[in-house]
Amino acid sequence: MHGIISAGIIGIGLGAQYALLALGFTLIFGVLGVVNFAHGGFYVLGGYVGYWAVSSAGLPYPVAVLAAVVATAALGYLFELVFVERFVDEQLATMMLTVGLYLVMSTGVLAGFGPEPADFAFPVTGSWHGGGFFIPWANLIVLGVCVLAIAAVYLVLYRTDLGRALRALADDRPVARAQGIRPHLLFPLAFALATGLAGLTGAVVTPILTLSPHVGDSVLATSFMVVILGGLGSVTGSTVAAFVVGLIEAYSDVYLGGSKGALALFLLVLLILIAKPSGLFGREARRA
Amino acid sequence: MLEIDRLEVRYGGITALRGISIEVKEGETVLLVGANGAGKSSLINAVMGLVPAESGTIRFANADLSSLSCDRRARAGIGYAPEGRRVFPSLSVTDNVLAGAFGLGRARQSEALSWLHESFPLLAERGNQLAGQLSGGEQQIVALARAMASFPKLLLLDEPFLGLAPVWIARISEAIRAMQRLGTTILMTEQMARPALKLATRGYVIRGGEVRRSGPVAEIRDLALADEYL
Repeated sequence: MHGIISAGIIGIGLGAQYALLALGFTLIFGVLGVVNFAHGGFYVLGGYVGYWAVSSAGLPYPVAVLAAVVATAALGYLFELVFVERFVDEQLATMMLTVGLYLVMSTGVLAGFGPEPADFAFPVTGSWHGGGFFIPWANLIVLGVCVLAIAAVYLVLYRTDLGRALRALADDRPVARAQGIRPHLLFPLAFALATGLAGLTGAVVTPILTLSPHVGDSVLATSFMVVILGGLGSVTGSTVAAFVVGLIEAYSDVYLGGSKGALALFLLVLLILIAKPSGLFGREARRA
Repeated sequence: MLEIDRLEVRYGGITALRGISIEVKEGETVLLVGANGAGKSSLINAVMGLVPAESGTIRFANADLSSLSCDRRARAGIGYAPEGRRVFPSLSVTDNVLAGAFGLGRARQSEALSWLHESFPLLAERGNQLAGQLSGGEQQIVALARAMASFPKLLLLDEPFLGLAPVWIARISEAIRAMQRLGTTILMTEQMARPALKLATRGYVIRGGEVRRSGPVAEIRDLALADEYL
């Protein structure tokens, strides 16, 4: 019983991290119709900006996290405005642009920080213990930050004019424009929100996992899996799927271990997709 | 209020509108009637800026629209309810209506919402329901309300009765009359001429992308009804 609860706690923590990553990924796909292959790169960049701000600039960790969010959001905003905007309806072109950006970002941090994992430690140590459980404070803080950020994204999307306009653009872009909604103003904002979320995740998660120039590859793969499982473009679907993936990963890791755990995760996701090909919350032919 | 002069619209090699000219005066409800494929929706979409004009001019409130994007035309005071409703399916009914009032500010949005709730009680009753889950007639009410939410000077209605049962045609007609009572200028297209003729003051019968007849409703009725069955 103890093991089941422990694995569940780990799974919820992983799920919150995946949800934060997948929300940004699905937001860009849903609103712009663009698959952002550079999403993992923004996660890595967020981690390295945080690392640099703490280790080189001597900033306190919370300020470093804020710097990571601002830097990744600003880069995302500019990248959309300068490059993606003019090719937004050309899927091949946006794919090449985002793949290119990812290569630039990962080789950039490789050149700047070297191939070895960075020594980026979480500033809070120790564990909370109660009821026979030991949970590191770092994990609890990261979980709290992720949950707060997810709640903030939901507030923006479902309680503001901006969020309503973004969801309208995702549903039917021409009709949204005919209501006076300006895609050229909102697309860069959506991109910045999404990349800022990836940067935030990178800055808070890499200190408890690992930070190296190529960790973005696995982040992209996980984001892909979560948004496909949730239903492409569905914000709620991605959030639910992230926790499903997190829990499956945690339980299969604990009870099957290593490569068997990863295989079980992919098989279970595959089974869900066979039963429901459009994903948990996807529509049959969703138009971005 | 709206002057269209020798407008031509093409889709690749196909000409949808062949130098069409129409005029809509302030406070009027003008009907474009014609068979499927006559070019009615192309004209509405060209006015809204959703399809480019090959040649000709479109003037709204004495300003040339040709250089304005679709969203700027909307902000200039043109409301649009498209053919087939096209509500935002994943947004609630209230969010659909508020999307039509984008950028107006909270006070003006609240004003629009309470006015529309009063005119169309369905919007309040189903406010939290996803618009994609409504029936066709209910969706048409949402699409009309969304188009009206920005208090437009000119309302474009593209086939508002399309695919609706008689009971809903009567309700939508009543909704359009409510907009007329507010003094809204309306340009509407409709293949089902009979109920639409009861709402319009003037009309144009369109065939093959050209105006075949125009004038007060009484003068175009026979030709319009003949097209209803084409």
